[in-house]
Amino acid sequence: MKVLSKSKLETALNKLNQSAEVFLPMQKDKESGFYSWKLFNQGQDELMLNALNVYLPPKNVVLPQTERMYSIKQEGQEIKIDKTFEDSSPRVIFGARPCDLKAILCMDDVFLTRGYEDSFYKCRREAITIVANACFQPGPACFCAAMEINPLEPAGADVIICDAGEAYSWEAKTPKGEALTAQITEYLEEKSLSLPAAKPFVQDVKYEGVAEKLKGMFNNHIWERLGESCHNCGICTYVCPSCYCFDIQVKMWGDEGYRFRCWDSCMYEEYSREAGGGNPRGSGIERFRNRFLHKLEFFKERYGTPLCTGCGRCIVACPAGINIVKIIDEIKEAELDA
Amino acid sequence: MKDISNKIREIAQTLFKEKKIDVFLGWEKGALDFQTVPFIARSEADARKLVFDEYSIHNLATLLLKFRDGSEKIGIAAKGCDSRSIVRLLEDKQFARERLHIIGVGCPGMKDPLQAIGMYSGLKKQQGDGNALAAKCYECVQPNPVIYDDLVGSQQPSRLTGERFARVNAMEQMNADERYRFFEDTLSKCIRCYACRQVCPACNCRTCIFDEMKPQWVGRENSPEDNMMYHLVKASHMAGRCVECGECERVCPVNIPLMLLNQKLIKDVNTFFGPYEAGMNYVEGAKPPLSSYSEKDPDDFI
Amino acid sequence: MHKCECEQPLVPVIVEVMDIKDETPDIKSFFVKNPGGNGLPFNVAPGQCAMVSYLPVGESMISCTWQEEQEYLQFAIKRVGLMTDELHQIEVGQKIGLRGPYGNGFPVEACKGKDMLFIAGGIGLAPLRSFIKYCFKHREDYGKIKIIYGSRSYADLCFKDELFELWPQQKDTEVFVTIDNAEEAWKGHVGFVPSYLEELNPSSAGTIAVTCGPPIMINFVLKALEKMGYNDEQVITTLEMRMKCGIGKCGRCNIGSEYICLDGPVFYLAQLRDLPQEY
Repeated sequence: MKVLSKSKLETALNKLNQSAEVFLPMQKDKESGFYSWKLFNQGQDELMLNALNVYLPPKNVVLPQTERMYSIKQEGQEIKIDKTFEDSSPRVIFGARPCDLKAILCMDDVFLTRGYEDSFYKCRREAITIVANACFQPGPACFCAAMEINPLEPAGADVIICDAGEAYSWEAKTPKGEALTAQITEYLEEKSLSLPAAKPFVQDVKYEGVAEKLKGMFNNHIWERLGESCHNCGICTYVCPSCYCFDIQVKMWGDEGYRFRCWDSCMYEEYSREAGGGNPRGSGIERFRNRFLHKLEFFKERYGTPLCTGCGRCIVACPAGINIVKIIDEIKEAELDA
Repeated sequence: MKDISNKIREIAQTLFKEKKIDVFLGWEKGALDFQTVPFIARSEADARKLVFDEYSIHNLATLLLKFRDGSEKIGIAAKGCDSRSIVRLLEDKQFARERLHIIGVGCPGMKDPLQAIGMYSGLKKQQGDGNALAAKCYECVQPNPVIYDDLVGSQQPSRLTGERFARVNAMEQMNADERYRFFEDTLSKCIRCYACRQVCPACNCRTCIFDEMKPQWVGRENSPEDNMMYHLVKASHMAGRCVECGECERVCPVNIPLMLLNQKLIKDVNTFFGPYEAGMNYVEGAKPPLSSYSEKDPDDFI
Repeated sequence: MHKCECEQPLVPVIVEVMDIKDETPDIKSFFVKNPGGNGLPFNVAPGQCAMVSYLPVGESMISCTWQEEQEYLQFAIKRVGLMTDELHQIEVGQKIGLRGPYGNGFPVEACKGKDMLFIAGGIGLAPLRSFIKYCFKHREDYGKIKIIYGSRSYADLCFKDELFELWPQQKDTEVFVTIDNAEEAWKGHVGFVPSYLEELNPSSAGTIAVTCGPPIMINFVLKALEKMGYNDEQVITTLEMRMKCGIGKCGRCNIGSEYICLDGPVFYLAQLRDLPQEY
């Protein structure tokens, strides 16, 4: 098999960096997330490829938190759209864990299927090559396998690497992956490598049947109890690798400006507030319910897979200690209202 | 703390039995050892689940706001910082004192469940041995409740050692350019999740300026300008209201030193309008300095 | 930067406002065409919507109340928020943004051969009007037509010339108008739409009922229709939720796993029975 020795990793990254912007898991000061290799400060920052995962997912690479869409220019009654800002510059996400990769596939479903292709997403996405980092040692908060993911052989990767101590195995899975491989072929060796044995998951999460059961639980009393300590902040949605909801807004200086889109959160009251002031999800509990139903039921009904990828980030970040694993358990145990 | 836990449970159960309360705001154990989570008990049976332990760090006063339009009688457990928040809510007339039954708890300092789970999960870097208190608790000047109907636990000494405004003083030493760069760098990290606002007991506006769309005061772009606008406006709204519970800084997912801004304003309010400490004792009708107007004010309006 | 060649569903085309008509004190009709008056940017079927934008301010999803082929697209817009406030200030000749068409539209084919009952309140007549006018245009394809419409006051009734002049003259057509509260000059019916509907008690036999209006009115109308023997396959309604993208991506207009902008806004009651009651 092809092998990338860890001692050659940085030179390989430098090579890839010549033709694409490479995003990797890094610790920068107190934060960890996917940052450009260009911003890596030798001696200060730490590469986190060997860590379980980083706190902020690579979502912003495929769906930036703020993304300009088009320019607006007004002259009297005339209005012009001179420029649109689709960005198809080449990028590599290097070392995405299977949970984060699956989250991107979920976003592909949203932005590229069901009648319309979102041009801003499509241009950016087509120029992205994903090197997935297989997981042999799930962390204590992980439950990707329960959410229909194979952590050892994740679907949808362009390249899959496996950490075997001194080196990574390197396997191209798609033409894009082959092209990436060709770029660094001088740093790859052909040899056999023994991969680590997969460790069992710490948490036992049973998602089977949850989506189906939830269909009858919209009006269940359980939501009040589960959601009443929720602060309705947006942390869970913003650290989530798969939450994709966005807002479209405009910024003008006098007669010129642009329209942009930015992440939005279904936890915010403003999210579904109508122009006339009405809001079908005016209460925090209703918004809480909608989020979990979207993750565990609605998305599965529409796209055939849950929108939760078991990365555990929301569990780690929630100020109120709300735990999606516990919620799945409680849904399983809940009695259906008569 | 087992003792405190038992007493809170006992008192809450009695209050339910005697029909003196309809709900009790406390903590229960979550799925993991270090997950002690806010809990709304609605019956004597629920009250059996109440706990108080080293992770009961959440300021429950924000939960109170979920009940402000009701008429329920509410029991609530309150550490020093929580109790100051309650005083502020009472001063802002968000509640009638009669609706509340407060069990004050002398707080020995709490550990941070977010730090603990971050390290446990592998998503945050190991820091210390896990036995340290939450950073905010080392700066606590008021661990004992300032308003209560029952008092449990022992009186605790202030844990602040050193200069209270050390961080603020250091910032004040920066020149204007350095300070601008410092805030630009720090606030650029903000992801606008609004967790700092949602957990803040002083944020009790019914419609927040940042949620208003007509007009829209603050842009939603994740840019240094819009982020600064958010944080500076938020911090100035905290002047005279912040009780230093430190929840905003604790929950921030990108480690923005939010208390630095708040403490700067605490210091300034104290200097210019003080002496004043928000929520230190409840005097009916009292108002924070920036909420009152006197014809003898030395300055013109704005 | 590589220039993208793909379709750009989120980028509006620029159209020109050719005419503006006051319908009520807070509703105006805007007639738009390609700039300079050269045809239409796209065709909109009855019941479909488009994102209308006064570009410097925002976008709103608006139901197209009528497309006169090659002539104009008409949007009747109520002043309720930031963008619609601005639109109400503009004058003829203004360029605005438009993208669409969005949504499924009314099942005009499936309703052929049926008697039609249209029930609307307030601005809710705007979407139904596209179907009503379609029926008149293809008059032989549909049976008897009854239109029940109400508003708060006489002044708040939309499309008055059609309501009182044009539509009642159409073949086999009856128009029933009501206002919420009595007014001195008003000789017609007074009362809410659902109770007027029950009073009129139109037969359900071979009839399709189509309703649109404020949620509270729709709720009572649906109950009344059920009482009158309409089954769930005979009742069509349109739903409304806050929208941003219009193409089923941005998330907010979901009811269950359906997106109103894409899978709606038109639903048979039978379809709604399967969805969470969140509208």
